[in-house]
Amino acid sequence: MKKIIKLKVNGIEYELAVEPNRTLVDFIRKDLGLTGTKKGCSIGDCGACTVLMDGTPVFSCLVLAMEADGCGIRTIEGVADGNKLHPVQEAFVSEGAIQCGFCTPGMVMTSIALLKDNPHPSESEIRRAISGNLCRCTGYQKIVEAVKKAEEELRVKS
Amino acid sequence: MSLPKFDLLQPKTLQEACDVLKDNRNGSIRILAGGTDILVDIRRKIIPEHLPRCKGCEPGSLTAQTAPPPPKLLVALSRIPELKGIRIVDDEIRIGAMTVIAELCQSEIVKTHLTALYEGAVSLGSPLVRNRGAIGGNICNARPAADTLIPAVALNATLKLQSAQGARDIPVSEFVTGPGKTKIQSDEILTEIIFKIPNNRSASAFYKLANRKALEISIVNIAVILTLDNEGAVTEGRIAMGAVGPTPIIALEAMKSLIGKKPSDDLLSKAARIAASEAKPISDHRGAMIYRREMVEVLVHRMLNETVNRIDLIKGC
Repeated sequence: MKKIIKLKVNGIEYELAVEPNRTLVDFIRKDLGLTGTKKGCSIGDCGACTVLMDGTPVFSCLVLAMEADGCGIRTIEGVADGNKLHPVQEAFVSEGAIQCGFCTPGMVMTSIALLKDNPHPSESEIRRAISGNLCRCTGYQKIVEAVKKAEEELRVKS
Repeated sequence: MSLPKFDLLQPKTLQEACDVLKDNRNGSIRILAGGTDILVDIRRKIIPEHLPRCKGCEPGSLTAQTAPPPPKLLVALSRIPELKGIRIVDDEIRIGAMTVIAELCQSEIVKTHLTALYEGAVSLGSPLVRNRGAIGGNICNARPAADTLIPAVALNATLKLQSAQGARDIPVSEFVTGPGKTKIQSDEILTEIIFKIPNNRSASAFYKLANRKALEISIVNIAVILTLDNEGAVTEGRIAMGAVGPTPIIALEAMKSLIGKKPSDDLLSKAARIAASEAKPISDHRGAMIYRREMVEVLVHRMLNETVNRIDLIKGC
């Protein structure tokens, strides 16, 4: 049976009726039309669908939309400040951490959450943090370098 | 790979949840904890070969050979506050069944007193799994390699099961009856995992042997706790072994060989050999039987040494 859920996505309040078997990723992509979040394996292996749920990175394919009722969700669309990219996005571009780009939205969300919790992560902490996000193109090296660069940028800013 | 149709209830109290489960006679109602396993398992399998199977088990026993019918109703426990959190009550550590694995990784209580459980939690899945997955779900799923189940067995946890009829306690070592099978009744909810605080001459350790560092299922995992007396002799302990049998295996004979003796390297290596003979591994795509047995010996030896070193460290300060 459909139920009405109320949640904030990227600061905007939504109130929508959803089926119980609607996953958060399908809700975000199909009901809200925010297709920046990617759907990869849909069984919690690849991390392409990572979004921040009340600040914590989660697989949105393994969260039911109804479970997100009342939560604050942040997706890749809510990361940039208008036309100005987030420092993490900026670093991904400048360091060449994007090839096919399918893992990038999830990778960026995970990296943002990491830098918020731990503003100065070591390389092993970065690798551990992104260990749930698979990338088949880059071999991770450029991604790790991008997170390091974003860390420096954010440090200079603060 | 879409989810089948089901209804979802999100009770706000344990009482409410128990009342819903009262009518769960044929198992058409299932509990949704973190969702990292059940929301994968109930998906319609497109390819029949992807149905759950377990070659090492006798045909028709223990493990499902065909996909069970999808649940009609899922009861999500995520909105019941009393099922979350880590508390010390008298001489016990009580962990709510809906406490997520990430919280175990951050808890000083768990790290200090239940080191094996901490090490199990840290090696479970990936950060994204740990942020959603709950310890109660990991235990009730009863996979023989579960990374919090094996430490819980070593640390002799007690499980609190609640139904509308009342509550009962069961030792986790008796809880699991086969891969994915437990003694939980269809109307019961696991509410708490209870650990006695080990005394200050004890230490525990856990090791996960796997091919990758994340998102991996153990080839073998070992959890050990030892307690020494003032003279340094072993008074009690437990060795739990995962992924080497249909259920977690406790190496009783190996532990017996240690009781009352001072842990020399020779003694520990003999105990490890006994532990290897108590394991009942199978061969599968993760590892061959002979390799697993060999690794049990190596890792039990290593973990026994590690716990003894840790007790020495505690005594040192």
